[in-house]
Formats: sequence, structure tokens, C-alpha cells
Amino acid sequence: MLLVDLQIASRNLLQHTRRNLFLAGALAATTALLVLLNGLVDGMKASLMESATTLMTGHVNVGGFYKVTSGTAAPLVTDYRKVLAETRKHVPELDYTTVRVRGYAKAVSEKSSMDLVLGGVEVEHEPGLHRVLQITAGRLDDLAQPGTLLLFEDQARRLEVKVGDVLTLSAPTTRGQSNTADVRVVAVARSVGLMSSFSAFLPAVTLRKLYNLREGNTGAIHLYLKDPSKAPEVAARLRDALAQAGWRVMDADPQPYWMKLFQKIPSEDWTGQKLDMTTWEDEMSFLSWIFSAVRVLSAILVFVLMVIVVVGILNTLAIAIRERTREIGTLRAIGMQRRKVRWLLLLEAGLLGAAGAGAGAVGALAIAALLNRAHIAVPASVEMFLMQQHLHLQTAPGRAFGYAAVLALVTTVASLLPATWAARLKPVTAMHHIG
Amino acid sequence: MSAIVSVENVSKTYHLGKTEVPALRGVSLEIHAGEFLAVAGPSGSGKTTLLNLIGCVDTPTAGVVRVDGKDTSVLSERALTDLRLRRIGFIFQSFNLVPVLSVFQNVEFPLLLQGGLTRGERQRRVGELLQAVGLSDHARHRPSELSGGQRQRVAVARALVGRPRLVLADEPTANLDSTTGATIIDLMRDMNERDQTTFLFSTHDQKVMAHAHAVVRIADGQLQARETLQAAS
Repeated sequence: MLLVDLQIASRNLLQHTRRNLFLAGALAATTALLVLLNGLVDGMKASLMESATTLMTGHVNVGGFYKVTSGTAAPLVTDYRKVLAETRKHVPELDYTTVRVRGYAKAVSEKSSMDLVLGGVEVEHEPGLHRVLQITAGRLDDLAQPGTLLLFEDQARRLEVKVGDVLTLSAPTTRGQSNTADVRVVAVARSVGLMSSFSAFLPAVTLRKLYNLREGNTGAIHLYLKDPSKAPEVAARLRDALAQAGWRVMDADPQPYWMKLFQKIPSEDWTGQKLDMTTWEDEMSFLSWIFSAVRVLSAILVFVLMVIVVVGILNTLAIAIRERTREIGTLRAIGMQRRKVRWLLLLEAGLLGAAGAGAGAVGALAIAALLNRAHIAVPASVEMFLMQQHLHLQTAPGRAFGYAAVLALVTTVASLLPATWAARLKPVTAMHHIG
Repeated sequence: MSAIVSVENVSKTYHLGKTEVPALRGVSLEIHAGEFLAVAGPSGSGKTTLLNLIGCVDTPTAGVVRVDGKDTSVLSERALTDLRLRRIGFIFQSFNLVPVLSVFQNVEFPLLLQGGLTRGERQRRVGELLQAVGLSDHARHRPSELSGGQRQRVAVARALVGRPRLVLADEPTANLDSTTGATIIDLMRDMNERDQTTFLFSTHDQKVMAHAHAVVRIADGQLQARETLQAAS
């Protein structure tokens, strides 16, 4: 019976090709838009995660603050090796760790200057940097030498420096004075999105020297997990474990460390060391408004389109039912139950929805693949907003067809009203209808 | 013979705005199993209304209609639909075939609604009927590819495929030329004699009436007479 039902539904759809093609086209466009907009947001997120977890944060960070007096704070983890040893015990998901000294300074060249967020690294223990950074000039391994610096292309252009040139870093300290150090540019890397516009690397030893830190102190321990989605779970677990092991641990607060350093920590009445566990999303939360904005805009756009589609479905089905009133009456007369009439019309709408939305999903996946392959450069004016230098849409077929299924379902549900109306037609009224 | 249809003092009034239009007024009639009965009368006399009430596609304003022993006024919508599916076959003036289905599928459709038969059984039964109505070679055609007479033969096969006890035909020859109409009536008569299926059809054509066992005459919503074949002709 189902085969005959499908045949009736599909042939009825094909009988009014133009009308149904128009409606299926609208559904396809809505689905494609939904898939592409989500692909854009996911692409932005992927780019952000890639650049953020390379440049500024691990999947999970064991950081902290040290306060000499209650009004001054530095982003420090003292005696980090003990913290690291304890941390390893509680994170079986761990892939690898890096230790970063945190700082910020004004970089001054002969021709220009700019503010930089500094990451003090031990480059030989930074597999992420080796994997992600594309060095366009110089050598990454030279960053193992003290007094060196890695810049990104945009920074080098702005500071008008090249490999071999020397810059002066001027870093304000908690005691109100500025320490300075001369560093030599040993490598320039291709920019990797928003983060690379203000992040730069230098050897941990050089940054410690700039801030007069002891060798056993660092800014944060970055944990890289085999499955980054476990980050919130791991951060929560570490919060409890390190507290139980005797460290003072701050409550969960999804803000980047530098916001806490400037806004929250100085106003708190404590001194000494407190550890703070964050995830990469916490550290990047200051950018979450961009994702929210794009998602809200997408939702509004898709909602408006869906309303148009639903009105179209209602209208089309109402016309179809009017045209086929006599046929429906006949089917009812020869013994078709009301629910079966309703089912046939729902099936028709469902098929239309599935065909339109399915085509939209396939089209969107194809468009996304073409755009990704075209490697389109994002204009500088929107680069910060899209967090990408080259347009990248991250679309998954499963998710795209998931959206298509939802839209097909909406189409089917929208047809419930006219289908029920058709099912309630009296056979005698329907049979004598002149449509 | 037992009565397969019993109509007792049935009235039907339609409302056209504020105007009441009586279509049937106190009609009583019994139809027995195996009869081949015509309802005759001029346009607007109430023939179609009577067939609609007996076919359970409409309900009387007053009176009782019993089909196959069941009082239709107490049956639910669902039960009435089931009664139509299993006990009554319909042949319409305008054929009323499903345009998107083939001849075979149109005839098979009531069996699919009934359920219970295997695909092979359905194919055999549809095949036999198509052969009986002379349309075996047109099984794959769509209704739009057939002549009026061929379409009405498909409708006859569809009405009979579920082996109903009663077939109702509302002016089955009205849209056909006289030769084709006569063929259809002969076909219905053959089926009546072959399977003892009861036929009730409406007509105002004297030639068509001549094929019936008996003719029920109706005028102004009232039964005038029930005549045997000899009296009618």
C-alpha cells in the first residue's frame, strides 16, 4: 500500500510541476542558507579554535594569579612543575602539554610600534607551533635562542621589520615600572586569523627575564586533549582535584585571564597564589558575541524564510485540495478512512519538503566545497569579524541533512491543517464539488 | 429473499441559505439480494439523494436506512466508511477514477484499502475482472488514455473488485453514447447474473431501464411505483 501511496503522492506533485518546483525551490533556498550560515559560523569557530589553541590557550589551561599585595596581580603559576605533575595524574585524556609564560609589552621598532600579547615558549616542546605555524621567513627553531622573537606577517609589516632586525620590548610590571629588553626577529609566520594580529612569541627564558621571574614560575600550563570537546569536563575535574591536593583554586568563571587580571583580581582581598582553570572557550569568550550575532541573524533570516515557505505550503495544499475535492470525495466514498486521506496529503507535503530541503542540503554542500576550494581571501575589513583570512565553511553532510530533515518535518507539520480539513470533507459534498 | 437494503419512511431536506429544499419525502423501499434494480425519474426527483443515502455517503433528515441489516444512523463515521468499503461498490456518472493511477491500480485500490489479500491474490482478482470487462490490454494505461466507455468499465471493475453485496450506480450511462451505455448496462447485468451482486442504478433513459428486473419510479422526492420489467416496458 505504501508504494501506491508514494506513487499517488509523487505523481500528484509531478502533475503541477511549476507550482511545486517553485515551492521546492523556496525550501531548497532556505535549507541551503541555513546550512551555509551554520557552515560559516562553524568555520569561524574552527578557525578561532585553531588559531587560539595554537597562539593563546590550550584546550584546558591551568593558570593562575599571584598577588604580592591585594591591589596588584600577575598572571603566574608558581612552582609549576608540582602543579603539572599533579595535573597529569587527573587527565588521562591528555595528548600533550606546553608551559607558557604570559605577558604583554609594547614592541618598538625603528619606524613604528604596537602592543603585543607575548607568549613565552620553549619551542622544542611546542608541537602545536611546529604543526600550525607556516614560517615565511627565518626558522622557528631559532626561537630556542634567548633574546629572539617570532612575529606574524601583519605585525612585521606594521612594524616594518624583517628577520634579523632588532626590536625593543617595553613591559609594564606590577610595581608600576617598565622593564625593557631588546629582541631579534628570527622568524616571521603566516598570519592565522584574528589572534595573530596581536600575539607574538619569544623564548620563555627571555620573557621571565623581562618580568624578573624565577625559573620555576610560569604563566600557565596548556593542556591539549585528544578530544577537545572534553575540555569543560576536564577543567571541572582539575578544579576539584587541585583543590583537594592543597592549592587554592578560583571558582569557575568563563572569562579570559587578562580580563580577570585587569578587572576582577585586583579588587579581591587576598594575597599569594591562586590557581585558575579555564577552557579555550573561556579564554575566547570575549569573542562569543560575534558567534551569537551571526547565529541570531541566521535564525531571524531562516525564520522569515520558513514563514514564507509555510504560507506557501498552506496555500499550495489548499489549492491542491480544492482541485482534487471530487477525487478525495470519491476515495472517501469507496471506503478510504479520514486518517488515510490525511496521511496521503501529509505524505505529499513530506515528499515535497524532503525533495526541496534535500536538494538544498546537497546544493549547499556543493557550494561550500566550491568556496573552500576557491580559497577566497576575506577582505581585511571583515577579517576580524569572520576570524578568517580565507573563507572557510565547515559543513558536515550529516548535519546538513539533519537541517533538511527538520525543514521537511516543518513542511509536513504545516500541511497538517489543510490535510485535516480535506479529511473532514463529507464524501457527498466532495463528490459533487465542481472545482 | 432477504432485504439487503431497507429504507423506511426516509426524508432528506437540504438547506440553501434560509430556504429548505426537500429532496426526499417519506420514501420507503426494500431491495433484495441479487436484484438488478433501476431508479427512474426526472432530474431533481431525488434519485441521486436516494442513492447517496443508501450508499452511506449522506445521512437522512428523518427515517431509517438499513444496509446489510445495519441501521446506518447509529454507525460512526468510521464504521460507515468501513461499511462502504466492504459491502458497497460505487459507479459514478463521471467515472471518478484516480487520474494518477493506472487502470490496474485503480481497480486494485479498494483491495489495498480492505487489506488481507496477498499481492498474488490481488493480481489474480484484478486480472479476472479486467478480463471480464475487456480491458486486460489496457491495464497499464492511465484513465486519461481511455475512452469514456473504457473508463466506465474500469469503474465497474473497481466497484466489483471488493466483492460487495451491493453496487450503486448513479446514472452510469449519462456521459456515454447509447451503444457504449448499453454495453455498460449489459456488463453490469452479466456481473449481476454471474455473482448475484445486487445492483441499484439511477437513470432516466427508457432503453437502460429495459435491462432492469424492476424499476422504482420517483418524482418530487416521493416514490411513485415499483414496476417489474414487463410493466416498465
